[in-house]
Amino acid sequence: MAARKLETMEDNRKQYIVIKFGNEQYGIDIRYVDNIVRLQKITRVPKAQPYFKGVINLRGEVVPVMSLRLKMGLENDTFTNSSRIIILKLEQQEVLGIMVDEVKEVVTLGTDEIDRVTHNPKDVKSTFINGVGKNGEDLISLFDINSVIEEKENS
Amino acid sequence: MDVSQYLEIFIDETSEHLQNLNDGIMTLEKEPEDKDVINELFRAAHSLKGMAGTMGFKRMQHLTHDMENLFQEVRSDRMKVTSALIDVMFDCLDAISEYLENVKSTSDEGTNENEAIIQELNAILKEGTAANQAEENSGEEEEQQESDIEVKNQHEFALSEEEEENIKTAQDAGHKVYEMTITIQKDCLLKAARAFLVFRAVEDYGHIIVYKPSAKEIEEEKFEQEFSIFLDTEESDFEKIKTAASSVSEVESVTGALIQEEELRGETEESDKLDVVEPEESKTETMPVQSNAPVAMKQDRKPASGKGKANMKPVTNRTIRVDIEKLDALMNQVSELIIAKNSLVAIGAAAGEGEESGQSFEEQIEYLERITTSLHESVMKVRMVPIESVVNKFPRMIRDLSKTLNKKMELEMTGEDTELDRTVVDQLGDPLQHLLRNSADHGLESAELRKERGKNEVGSIYLNAFQEGNNVIIEVGDDGNGIDTENVKRKAIERGLVTQEAAEQLSQKEIIDFLFMPSFSMAKQISDISGRGVGLDVVKSNIEALGGDVEVRSVLGEGSKFIVRLPLTLAIIQALMVEIRDEKYAIALASIQTIEYISTNDIKYVESKEVIHIRGEVIPLIRMDQALDFEPAEDDKNLTVVIVQKGDKTAGLVIDNLIGQQEIVIKSLGAYISTTKLISGATILGDGEVALILDVNILM
Repeated sequence: MAARKLETMEDNRKQYIVIKFGNEQYGIDIRYVDNIVRLQKITRVPKAQPYFKGVINLRGEVVPVMSLRLKMGLENDTFTNSSRIIILKLEQQEVLGIMVDEVKEVVTLGTDEIDRVTHNPKDVKSTFINGVGKNGEDLISLFDINSVIEEKENS
Repeated sequence: MDVSQYLEIFIDETSEHLQNLNDGIMTLEKEPEDKDVINELFRAAHSLKGMAGTMGFKRMQHLTHDMENLFQEVRSDRMKVTSALIDVMFDCLDAISEYLENVKSTSDEGTNENEAIIQELNAILKEGTAANQAEENSGEEEEQQESDIEVKNQHEFALSEEEEENIKTAQDAGHKVYEMTITIQKDCLLKAARAFLVFRAVEDYGHIIVYKPSAKEIEEEKFEQEFSIFLDTEESDFEKIKTAASSVSEVESVTGALIQEEELRGETEESDKLDVVEPEESKTETMPVQSNAPVAMKQDRKPASGKGKANMKPVTNRTIRVDIEKLDALMNQVSELIIAKNSLVAIGAAAGEGEESGQSFEEQIEYLERITTSLHESVMKVRMVPIESVVNKFPRMIRDLSKTLNKKMELEMTGEDTELDRTVVDQLGDPLQHLLRNSADHGLESAELRKERGKNEVGSIYLNAFQEGNNVIIEVGDDGNGIDTENVKRKAIERGLVTQEAAEQLSQKEIIDFLFMPSFSMAKQISDISGRGVGLDVVKSNIEALGGDVEVRSVLGEGSKFIVRLPLTLAIIQALMVEIRDEKYAIALASIQTIEYISTNDIKYVESKEVIHIRGEVIPLIRMDQALDFEPAEDDKNLTVVIVQKGDKTAGLVIDNLIGQQEIVIKSLGAYISTTKLISGATILGDGEVALILDVNILM
C-alpha cells in the first residue's frame, strides 16, 4: 500500500473511469482499462468461483468476466441497456472483464481531491477501496484494482 | 556430414568436459605432481578437441589442440606445472566457455580467434620445453596440425566408404553411374543456385548419390568453380544428361564419363592426385597418405541423399528451423485462401446487384473448407519434429547403466522418426529417461536370476514409438521381472496409504497406480539410478502436463510395459459438440468411442450407481447435467449417451443433444477463473459464442 501511495504522490493527477453500482459511484484507474464493451452473451463456467459470471468472446480471445457486485457482497447484477463490461488489462498480459451497471464519465482527480481511507475489516466492500475522490458534489470510491482481482481472501 | 542434430549433445558434453577441466586444473594448482589429474585433463582436452573437430568448430578445435599439446608435455614430464601455465589454462577454459555460449545461441562458435591465448600457450610450451630441448617436437606438432587442417580442405575428392558403397549398390542393381564435373562461369554470382539447377536437371534422369564437395558445402557456395557429382541412372546415353546439365545458364562446361566398377579405383585416384592406394585396406577405397586421414574422412562423410536439411535442429530455445518446402506449401495455401476470399467477395457483390454469379456460394465454402484444413495441416507440420533428437542419447545411457548396474542389457528402439509437436518433444526427454532407468534398475533381474528363469542372460529393454490416430504412443518396457503387485500392496499398507482390508479389494491396476504416488519407492536400496521416490509421479505429472497419460501393463515374471500416450497437437482438435441443457460443450473426438441411444429402462444399478450394459460391457453412467451443476430436471424417456474411453476405462456421458463434429481451436480460460479439471479450456464457435471443452478423462 505504501508503494501505491508513493506512486500517487509522484503522479499528481490521474484519470478515472466513473462507473455506477446502483446509486453509488466508483472509480477505476484508467491505466488498467483496456476497453469497454456492451453486454454480450456470457458463457457460464461450471464450478468456477461464484462471482465469476463466465467467459465472453472478445475478438477471438476468451475473457473471463467477474461480477464486482457479487464479489463485494452486493445483490446480483441486473442486466439493463446501460450495463457494460469493462475489460481490464493486468500484468502478465492477462485480461479480465468486470460487469458494471453503467459507465458514467471519465474524471481527472488530483491527489488533493482524494481522501485515503483505511480498511474496515467488517465491511467486505471497503477492502477493495483505497480512496474516495471528490468530483464536485459527487463522491467516488476508488477501486484498488489489485485487491479487486485478488483471489480467495474474501470469497 | 550433417552434425546439427548432435549440437545439443555437443553442448551438454562440452559443458561437462569444461567442468571436469575446471575441477582438474584447480586440483593441479594444489598438487602439481598429481599424474592422475594430468592424465584426466589430457583426456578431457583431447575429447573436446575431437568433438569440436567433428562439429566443425575450427577455432575451438585449434585452441583445445594447443591445450592438449601442453598437457601432453606435462604428462610426459617434459614440462613442469607453473602458475603461469595454470593461469593460461583458466583463460583457455573461459575462452572455450565463450565459444560454447556462442554455439548455444547461434549454433556457431563465433569469430573470436583468441590469438592471444594461443600465443601465450605456445610461448609457455616453447619456454617449458626449451629446457628439455624438446622444441623440435613442439614444432612438429604445430606443423602436423597445420597439415591437419589442410587435409580437410583438399580431401574433398576422395570417396568415403559409404559413398563407395552407394556406387557399388547402384552398379549392382544394373544402373549406370556417371561421374560428372561441372564448371561454372567465373563471374557467376549465385553459384549455389546454378549448382542446384544442375542437380535438378540431371535428377530427371536418375538420382545423385555422391556430391563432391558435399551438398551442404555446395549449398553454402564453398567451392571454387568446379564441383563433381556421381549420378545413378538407367539412362545409357550420357550425352543427353550432359546436354541437360549444360543447358543451365552460366555453366561453362560439363565433363564426365561412365564409371565401370573396376574403374572406380582409377577414377578416384585421378580426381585426387594426392591420394595413394592404401595397401589391402579395402578393395576399392583410396586413402590419402596423411596420418590424419581417418579424421578427415569422417568429416567428409555424409548421407549421399543430401537431404539432411529437413532434420536440422535448432539449439536456441523456442525457435524452429523450417524446411523451405514446408514454408512454400504454406505460402501457396495462403494465396489460395486469398483467392477463395476474393471469390466470396465477388459472389457477395454479384448477389448485391441481383446478378447471377458463375460459382455457387456453397462451392466456394467447400473450397474454403478444404484450404483451411490443409492450411491447418501445414502449420502443424511446421511445428513437428521427430522424437529422434530426444531418444538418440538413450542407447549410450543404457550402455552406461549396464556398466554401473553390472547387468547385461540391450536397448531396442523403433519409430525414432515419429513426429510430435516441438513443445512436446522438448519435454519428453526426462520422463522417458526415467522410465528407461526404471526398467534397467527395477525391471531387469540379475544375469544369474535370468538364467535360472530360463531367460536370455542379456535383458532387453525396448522403446517403441508410433502414431495411433490423433495420438502418439511411446511404449517403454522390458522383459524383466514385472511389477510384483503383492509387494506394492504390502508397501502401500505399510505406508498407511490403504488399509489391509481395502487392499484386498483392489484390482491389479489400482495397486499399480500406487507406484505413481509421490515419494513411493519400491527400491530396496537407494541407488544413483533410482529409488529416491521422485520418480513415476514426476513422470506422470510431466506427461499429463503435456495433455497425455501413462498406463502400465505388467505380467509378473515376464516384464512390464509403460505406455505413454501423447496428443499429436496441442492447439486444434476435432471435437464433438454437444448440448447439455441450453449450453454447448465440446468433447475431444479422440476420446469418444460410440454414441448410444438408450431408454431409461435400460439403466441398471451397481452399488447404487447408474450403469448400462452394452455389448457385454458394463459402463458407468455420468449425468453431465449434475456434473456441471445444473438444477435437477425431469428425465427424458430416452437418453443420448456418449461413450468415452481412456485406456481400458470407459464411461457413458448422458447429454441432451448432439450438435455435430467440428474442428475447434483450444483457448485457455486465463489465470483468474478457477475451474475444476473437468473444464480444460474453451473455444469460440462460428457464431462467436464461447463453448467450454470438457476433459472427460477426469470423469473416469
